[in-house]
Amino acid sequence: MAWMHREIVERRKLLDDQGFMTGLTIAQVLPGANPVNLALYLGMHARGRMGAAVAVFGIIFPAFCVVLIMGYLYRTYSDFEATHVVLGGVAAAGVGATLAMGVKLARSVMVKIIPTAIAIFTFVVIGILRWPLVPVVSVLVPLSILQAYLIHKRQSKDG
Amino acid sequence: MDRSLLSLIIVFAPLSLFSFGGGQAVVADFQYQSVEVHGWITNEQFTDLYAVSRAAPGPSTLIAALIGWQVYGFAGAVIACLAIYIPSSIVVYGATSWWHKNEKSPWRVAIEKGLGPIAVGLVFAGILAVLRAAHIVEPGHINYLGLATFLLTGFLLYVTTITPYLLIAGVAIFYGCLQFF
Repeated sequence: MAWMHREIVERRKLLDDQGFMTGLTIAQVLPGANPVNLALYLGMHARGRMGAAVAVFGIIFPAFCVVLIMGYLYRTYSDFEATHVVLGGVAAAGVGATLAMGVKLARSVMVKIIPTAIAIFTFVVIGILRWPLVPVVSVLVPLSILQAYLIHKRQSKDG
Repeated sequence: MDRSLLSLIIVFAPLSLFSFGGGQAVVADFQYQSVEVHGWITNEQFTDLYAVSRAAPGPSTLIAALIGWQVYGFAGAVIACLAIYIPSSIVVYGATSWWHKNEKSPWRVAIEKGLGPIAVGLVFAGILAVLRAAHIVEPGHINYLGLATFLLTGFLLYVTTITPYLLIAGVAIFYGCLQFF
């Protein structure tokens, strides 16, 4: 991300700082992997629809090749018990990395009662009760945005 | 058991729309759909593929490509990759124009604030799904080495700015050495 900022804003001047920050927000808030979304946003600003498509392809293609090569190595060595033990450790570390990110995210989001309740509800329904994600979240997303809208409106009226 | 390319699209394309902040938000359903609903892979294979996707540089959403590969070979990997990125990319593309046209709209704030808590809930649901699939924490069973690895990695990445890849490599070497002693 820091590298993208230097290349796009400082060196090539395709965008100003504020434009870049808006892109970062969109990339983080909306669905899709953050770097892919940011690439799409920057590509779109540079060259419109074609730029967006090329940027997305450019950022996914190398990562796709690398993950397939690693997947190939995994298949080659999957007969050895040691492979699964090592990957079990890597999975534990990987999910630990998600925990660190999740706690940081939770601390910024769960400061008020309603967002906290929505986060806990989502976790319980998907994580513990194991309801299917797509129908549940299809209902939760509009409700959550609507309550945020109503709270925001009331706050701006009071303020 | 349905192992067609179409079934990959049906599973991954809708999840693409809910991958807030990336693949971590929909990992719970990746596991649920590919192991429990469709039986494409076992929990052990899911854990392995998850580990490969986390060790690889690049978005962890690419676990979809690895699952696709298990289901339908190379074509499956390509189709799963397209299915997981195209829908979200279309949303971001559309939203970007809207975002610029509606500088002052209160909906902008509402979308930012409204999606945050759902992303948090989904990320923690994903954590639980992986812990279960990897047999680290299950009802009636705890793998203490796995749990310690999970908590220690989480703690170190929370308090320091060390790159996760370094820790992941360290853990891989440590587990590898355990095999020989």
